[in-house]
Amino acid sequence: MKRSLVGATIVCLIFLPVFLSGPYYTHVFILTMVNIVLAASLRLINLSGQMSLAHGGMMTIGAYTSALLVMKAGLSFWAAMPISGLATALVAYIIGYPFVRLKGIYFSIVTIFFSEVVVLTAQQWQSLTQGAAGIFGIPRPDPVSLFGILHADFSSKVDFYYLALVLMLLCLLILYAVEKSRIGMILRGVQQADSLAESVGIDTTGFKVLAFSVGSFFPGVLGAFYSHYISAINPDAFAFLFTIYILIYMTVGGDGRFLGPILGAAVLTILPEVSRPLKAFEPFVFAAVLIAVIFFVPEGMVGLPKMLKRAKPSSKEGAAHA
Amino acid sequence: MSTAALAQSVLNGLALSGIYILIALGLTLVMSIMGIVQVAHGEIYMIGAYSVYYVVAVLGGNFFLGIVVSTLFVGGIGVILERLCFRPFRGRPDRAFTISIALILILQNVVLALAGGNPRSFSSPITGVVHVLGIAISWKRLIIVIVGCGLLVALFLFIKLTRTGQAMLAISQEREGAALQGMNIDRISATAMFLGCGLAAVAGGFIGSLFSISPTMGSFALMKGIAVIILGGLGSIPGAVVGGLILGLVDGVLPALTTTHIAGLVGFAAIIVILIFRPQGIGGHAG
Amino acid sequence: MLEIEGLSKFFGGLEAVSSVDMRVNAGEKLGLIGPNGAGKTTFFNLVSGTLKPTKGKVTFEGRDITGRSPHYIAGKGIVRTFQGINIFPDFTVLENVVLSCHLKPGVGLFETVLRTGRSRRKERAILDRSRAILDLVGLDKLADASAQSLAHGHKRILGIAVALAAEPKLLLLDEPLGGMNASEVSETMALIDRLWDQGITILLIEHNMRATMNLCRRIVVLNFGRKIAEGTPDEIKANPDVIRAYLGAGAHAA
Repeated sequence: MKRSLVGATIVCLIFLPVFLSGPYYTHVFILTMVNIVLAASLRLINLSGQMSLAHGGMMTIGAYTSALLVMKAGLSFWAAMPISGLATALVAYIIGYPFVRLKGIYFSIVTIFFSEVVVLTAQQWQSLTQGAAGIFGIPRPDPVSLFGILHADFSSKVDFYYLALVLMLLCLLILYAVEKSRIGMILRGVQQADSLAESVGIDTTGFKVLAFSVGSFFPGVLGAFYSHYISAINPDAFAFLFTIYILIYMTVGGDGRFLGPILGAAVLTILPEVSRPLKAFEPFVFAAVLIAVIFFVPEGMVGLPKMLKRAKPSSKEGAAHA
Repeated sequence: MSTAALAQSVLNGLALSGIYILIALGLTLVMSIMGIVQVAHGEIYMIGAYSVYYVVAVLGGNFFLGIVVSTLFVGGIGVILERLCFRPFRGRPDRAFTISIALILILQNVVLALAGGNPRSFSSPITGVVHVLGIAISWKRLIIVIVGCGLLVALFLFIKLTRTGQAMLAISQEREGAALQGMNIDRISATAMFLGCGLAAVAGGFIGSLFSISPTMGSFALMKGIAVIILGGLGSIPGAVVGGLILGLVDGVLPALTTTHIAGLVGFAAIIVILIFRPQGIGGHAG
Repeated sequence: MLEIEGLSKFFGGLEAVSSVDMRVNAGEKLGLIGPNGAGKTTFFNLVSGTLKPTKGKVTFEGRDITGRSPHYIAGKGIVRTFQGINIFPDFTVLENVVLSCHLKPGVGLFETVLRTGRSRRKERAILDRSRAILDLVGLDKLADASAQSLAHGHKRILGIAVALAAEPKLLLLDEPLGGMNASEVSETMALIDRLWDQGITILLIEHNMRATMNLCRRIVVLNFGRKIAEGTPDEIKANPDVIRAYLGAGAHAA
């Protein structure tokens, strides 16, 4: 995407809250930005050829870690949030080594299992997590002020909106930088030809774990953000269906380009909120969209322009026949 | 704990084992033969449960008739799904996975729309207890164990004696190699789906006879199925039996021995340990 | 340079490679031949780390590399090419080589994300080196073509370029001439000779007898996983065991 377009979008996003007609829509946009980062980070793991369904589990770990660090260990939210991300990255690193040795579909299965174990642990380890009821009254982030002028005490959703915006831009920047770097190239190479990459000295296992670990940092951070935003967390908040939805955002948007998951998450989060009938039939609509994408537009939304161009008969041909 | 109580726990455990094995076998058949992560397997199981409910509670039929009808019906759905949804994406597990996700959404919400979200139950006509060695054994659970064993034997014979069965075993053990030997992959995949979905339907029917059914009961089955497969061996058909046996017994017996919330975790903790040291499970080969 | 002692690989009951003893001297051009199914590629897999040996020992430049991972062995200087997937299909020809320059002045990965000046200089050096390699193998004109779109012969040459990028001391070539026409064969053989001139030791699996005999000073013959002969091309051509192995295999195949 052209730099100017990106810049213009960012400017729009900065001024958006002025135009939103109430806290509900602010909330929708906050959710959208969270989903965008989740979908984009899932794609990083996907680059190396692995389909991970651990994001739900990572989000849960991030949410609980931050809530507990702040409420039981007295840390500031601003410390707890990055620590939560590092925690999930570490967990991913540890389980990564045994997991990535497994063939594609089996890797996916064990990540599903991992997420489930996280949920169950949160439910059962009552002394730590207060069990199935979850944790309430998670405090808001400590007030911050920037340059002495901008203040945020997080008593209103708008403050959270701007925090989400900053987080999203930072996370996307990191993800983009990684993807465009040599690491991104190596991951794509590993996905295309695993053995060949090994033969030129690339530690494919190590890189797959790296992708999994770095990719899992982001749900940890966003989980922390989420629990302090909603001020409550319970074990089922990010269960299987949650991870499925992130996968849907990535797939519908298109996992072949960086923009894909961003587009998919944005469209699929916002549309059901602005169209009542769509929301009522959301599962069916999503299923229909998924099927349409898989059968007709496998490259997702980002692949649509190319497909339409191919479908149109070229004008040169027409002139030649005329 | 008294012998009677222990025996009943063991029987509970065995009944659960039977159900878990059926779910896991169905899942591993589909996964290892078609090479896809069939995450809608839980929804198939749920539809099986509702089909039995329909025959028993609505049509007033016999429980066994319900099981048979449900198996054929759900098996048939499986064959149709294979033809329409999975065959076009053979060799593209990522796309097949997306279809499975769509299926979860569709199946769960269709049943939700048709039958409502409230749990329902049907009474299995088999009630009462039989006394063995002075211990009261629930008929319901005993039937599950017996029928479960019967199905296992039948499946084992099918695999051992028919050409399709042998082909399925070969493919589950080494997909790429087997495919080259000119087997009719279409027929084998359809059979695998029929069997896999049928087994799930029986499991759903059994669970429905013991507890209640609801449109969201599928995720329980999916997670148990996955746990069993991971424990017993990714891609291993015998492993699914061993894993299901172990997990079922753990889930049945442990709660009686300790307080429930620890018991729930023991099974999973064991699996995690196995995952870290031997990710392919007890009998598996998923590298 | 490369010492192989008693190397064996069992697959269940099948003995694919059986107690092979061999050595490759630095600066050699060694050919490995044998009928189909003799275990030649399996042998390569064992040496390069793709497969773990059941028995035996592989020593390279005095270091025991038996059963180590492929990327470790590549790091020590043994690089192999593949019969099957030997290119990165979704990258361009140039990107294929750039990616494969992984071992060259280890580009600090963290740095490449930050795009520091130093990493950008290294990337430029890698780019230059990649273009030089493409020049050497004759693919420079196709640098921006998609690897997937190349003609078969060019794909095999790209496979060699990819291997070169990893700075091999010992190059294991697995049927580099497969599917090539006569002119491609002689061009590739000339290329392999040039690589040898530059100091790379060559170990070559090939079915093309004439090319192998012309290129290699020493030949090892495998049959049914066993080494059945070793010597100069003339000695091998006259060896009755070798003749029998090929004629016997031919008779079975008929």
